[in-house]
Amino acid sequence: MQTDNRRFPDWLWYALLCIFWWGLWGFLSKIGSVAASPLQMQILFTLGMLPVAVGMLLHMRGKLDRDRVGISYGLLSGIATGLGTLGYFAALRKQDASVVTPLTGVFPILTVALAFVVLRERLNKVQMGGMLLALASIVILST
Amino acid sequence: MHWMIYAGIAIVLWGVNGLFMKLGTNRVSARSMVIWVTAGFVVLLPWMWRLTGLAGLSTRVILVGLIAGAVNGLGNWAVFACLEKGAKASVAIPLTALYPLWTVALATAFLRERPTALQWIGIALAVAGGAMLSYEPEPAAAHKEQLSCVP
Repeated sequence: MQTDNRRFPDWLWYALLCIFWWGLWGFLSKIGSVAASPLQMQILFTLGMLPVAVGMLLHMRGKLDRDRVGISYGLLSGIATGLGTLGYFAALRKQDASVVTPLTGVFPILTVALAFVVLRERLNKVQMGGMLLALASIVILST
Repeated sequence: MHWMIYAGIAIVLWGVNGLFMKLGTNRVSARSMVIWVTAGFVVLLPWMWRLTGLAGLSTRVILVGLIAGAVNGLGNWAVFACLEKGAKASVAIPLTALYPLWTVALATAFLRERPTALQWIGIALAVAGGAMLSYEPEPAAAHKEQLSCVP
């Protein structure tokens, strides 16, 4: 694993890039969801992800990593995200988005708790405060 | 089933997913992860297709949905690269979950939506929270590095 001690480490650039792409995804979803149901959007998202995956495969010249455990985590990640999204849509059918979306937005708490137990990750006090502010903002911005 | 159970399923699966993402990038590259995660999504496709089709959607909406999917895939690659470069899952996942900040900015600029007073508070909290989550105390890291250089 590569670590970086510079003031603006590489991982932070990628985190910001992720926010850029996912933020754009949220914006496009907003436009599309005016006419399409959430489930139809999810089908389109999956189909839209395929060219990116093919592009990555071509960029790797077909030399895909073959670590079985790593592959299992990748597949589980896709299935968990997809099933989680279907659970979210099912909740939306019975309750308003203004209630469901902020509630489900607290999922990073579970990741942080699992990372604490399983990966033995520790946040410093500033990061802990940042996480609380981030959670509050996720809940507010989801309404 | 009560809606809270469905919402709980979403929270648990998305929360656990953050762990899968870190464990996966510890073993395979970010680009490989994108491919396998996409395969995981594709597994669910026939099931979703049975529940609904794409009939009645305009070409424009289909195009927007497909582009959104591609953009989502690029976001997935970026978060895997972030974790691959050494970010803690407990920092990267809450930090990247701040993406609605950018969605609100784009909606304000292009859809002429105006953030409410509460949303402005959310934006301020997101900026402060993001900066604090990114904080790694440099002296401690440098000290650790010095120690590791001692023969």
